[in-house]
Amino acid sequence: MPDGQTSEAVSGEAAAGALAYLTEMSPDLRGGAILDAEGNVLAASGRPERWREDAAALLATADKAGEEPVEQLHIAGEQGEVFAVRQAGLVALAVTDRFALASVLLFDMRAILRDLAEGGDGKGRDGEEGVDAA
Amino acid sequence: MPPKPHRVLLDRVSGYADEAAAYMRRRRVARRPFARLYYPEGRAADHAADSLSGAELFTAAGRLIEVAGKRPR
Repeated sequence: MPDGQTSEAVSGEAAAGALAYLTEMSPDLRGGAILDAEGNVLAASGRPERWREDAAALLATADKAGEEPVEQLHIAGEQGEVFAVRQAGLVALAVTDRFALASVLLFDMRAILRDLAEGGDGKGRDGEEGVDAA
Repeated sequence: MPPKPHRVLLDRVSGYADEAAAYMRRRRVARRPFARLYYPEGRAADHAADSLSGAELFTAAGRLIEVAGKRPR
């Protein structure tokens, strides 16, 4: 499936389950959100309207910084770290403590987005795609 | 008298662990804030905190860190 489009609409329930799964797998995670292609919040760990606004601002700033849209970003500051991944028409955002394991977290974020886009629950199927089923 | 084989193995493992711990300490001390953007073809771009785009990225990321709050656990 090409990035940038999902095969079907992702339910908020599936996205919430995927976000809970990501939180469970990532001990450094403070919060996160999953958005659809239009920037609507499918699931968030807190105030969805704030996630929507601030995620849109961050992604717009990141896209503006280069000549093409970003696929993923990692911003590490003194107060924490921010990760964003675009895959299959969905966006996953994660905020962690400092010194989080970036490659592992980005892998997990990509895996849950891929699974959600394929109609799964974001937890993988029978351990496929590197994510064990719960 | 040569050391017992298991002593050699233990010393070697301890040495590797010490090296790893020192590396992690140096990494934490030396690491500075950064903003890194990745593009579809595998290209990545760093934006310094004192550049215009870097400052905007850190400001936007700071808002998300604020929204996420502290770790729930």
